[in-house]
Amino acid sequence: MKPDQALPSVIYQPFTHGLPPLGGYAKSLWARRQFIFEYARADLHQKQYGSILGQLWLVINPLILAGVYYLLLIIIGAKGGPDRFGHLTGTLFLFYLITNSITSGAKSVTSGAKLILNASFPRLVLPLAETLIAFMKFLPTLVVFFVIHTILGLPYSLHMLWAPAIIALTLFFAASCAILASTINVYFRDAQNLLPYFSRTLLYLSPVLYTAQTLDAKLNFLKIINPLFPILDTWSAVMIRAEAPDPTSLLLALGYSLFLFSIGTFIFLSREREFAVRI
Amino acid sequence: MSSLSESNSSNVSSKKTAISIENLGLVYKTTLDKRPTFKTRIRRLARRKRQTRIVHAVNNLSLEIKYGTVLGVIGTNGAGKSSLMRVISGILPPTSGRVEVFGKVSTLLALGVGFNGKLTGRDNVYLGGLAAGMNRAEIESKFDSIVEFAGLEEVIDAPMRTYSSGMYSRLAFSVAISLNPNILIIDEALSTGDARYKVKSLNKILEMRNEDRVIIIVSHAMKTLKTVCDEVLWLDRGKIVAQGDPTTVIQAYREFLHVGEAPESDEDL
Repeated sequence: MKPDQALPSVIYQPFTHGLPPLGGYAKSLWARRQFIFEYARADLHQKQYGSILGQLWLVINPLILAGVYYLLLIIIGAKGGPDRFGHLTGTLFLFYLITNSITSGAKSVTSGAKLILNASFPRLVLPLAETLIAFMKFLPTLVVFFVIHTILGLPYSLHMLWAPAIIALTLFFAASCAILASTINVYFRDAQNLLPYFSRTLLYLSPVLYTAQTLDAKLNFLKIINPLFPILDTWSAVMIRAEAPDPTSLLLALGYSLFLFSIGTFIFLSREREFAVRI
Repeated sequence: MSSLSESNSSNVSSKKTAISIENLGLVYKTTLDKRPTFKTRIRRLARRKRQTRIVHAVNNLSLEIKYGTVLGVIGTNGAGKSSLMRVISGILPPTSGRVEVFGKVSTLLALGVGFNGKLTGRDNVYLGGLAAGMNRAEIESKFDSIVEFAGLEEVIDAPMRTYSSGMYSRLAFSVAISLNPNILIIDEALSTGDARYKVKSLNKILEMRNEDRVIIIVSHAMKTLKTVCDEVLWLDRGKIVAQGDPTTVIQAYREFLHVGEAPESDEDL
């Protein structure tokens, strides 16, 4: 007898070419957007960031961090006045948006084991939710940055309107890294132990403690091989110096993001079906 | 209390196909280490030891389940019961064959009960519902009845790590039936509830059977299966050994296990 026509029908068949049907997957992912927001909200609330004191900590923590690094710069005799501190805070806050997304994203699939074992949903929502959490933690620091920017008397211009586009590009890059890191962590659980060292190395290879302009000519290759370099350099140009972004840097950042997104999502989606038996 | 599963909206005429499984095979590779790391990978490589194990969880299995059926699934540990349930739920994609599911499925699987212990019961209800495809407004409209059915009004805003295992399973069952499923899959997930809640959940299952839905219960509680099921499926090594009348299949399974009418085999659901 034929089934009721009104009932939704789902067919499960072996994946072709290792990937699920992408159209259906994207639709299902979009349908779970409320889950991503709820997951991020619940996580921040659970970590006390819903309270005034918790939100204050979100502001104080990066400020202390920026202060410590500025002290380091003074001790090692780095040159620079207010704009140097402005550059340090602005780029450090954006840098932590990326590394927080990678660090938490790496654990997202393994720590979501119970949900993965119990429900059928696109697993991509888990690293994406961690990127959203990192973004929500970044927003208060942006307010702090503008206060510092004003106190230091740094310039404002219409070029700063590029900021939302650069943040969007950063989020795209951060999410791509989180997706890739979450897959690697399923197969190598000690990968997350390496992340603090990885993140520290990235910090030293990126224009945070120094500016792209003061970089030794011998190290100019970092501008090309470090994917964070063009993002942070563009951010510094737009937000600290209030200049127009360098189109080459913007294109390079977009190219890196697209590359990592393609690699990360391909590996994630082709392995996703295994997650339930690997975690 | 308002009905959690909206009895009239999802009635389906009896004897229509709910689940059609054709030549299903499920093979997966799993690591030999519980926690795979770079370190263990290198160590195994150096010692030329195997890194992974191939598991043939389901082998060329065909099955049709009609609406209005309460199907019990029995079998020894590792027989492929949970893997089969996960394929039907869409959690594990098949390696070969085809599974067609007509209707909305809600799952209540043993290992998945209580999604995130750090979060409150309230947050877990919302996250569980949203992951299963409900929207926030739907969950909000059903929230009070979910909590009331689970009997957790006083602790719903406490972190779930403070809940007992019984409280976990009560909330999970309540969320699962709130999804108003056409097909409900319960995989050894109710055994931790207290006697009162077991009666309540069994009554709910019988109510759903009367509404011509499909309920699949994986359990070792033979007595309960005989009481609520219309049909029992016995699996062994990913294949169907027997299927049909609960009393007959359970008797054959007991003989296979050499346990006779031992009371241990009548454990709770």
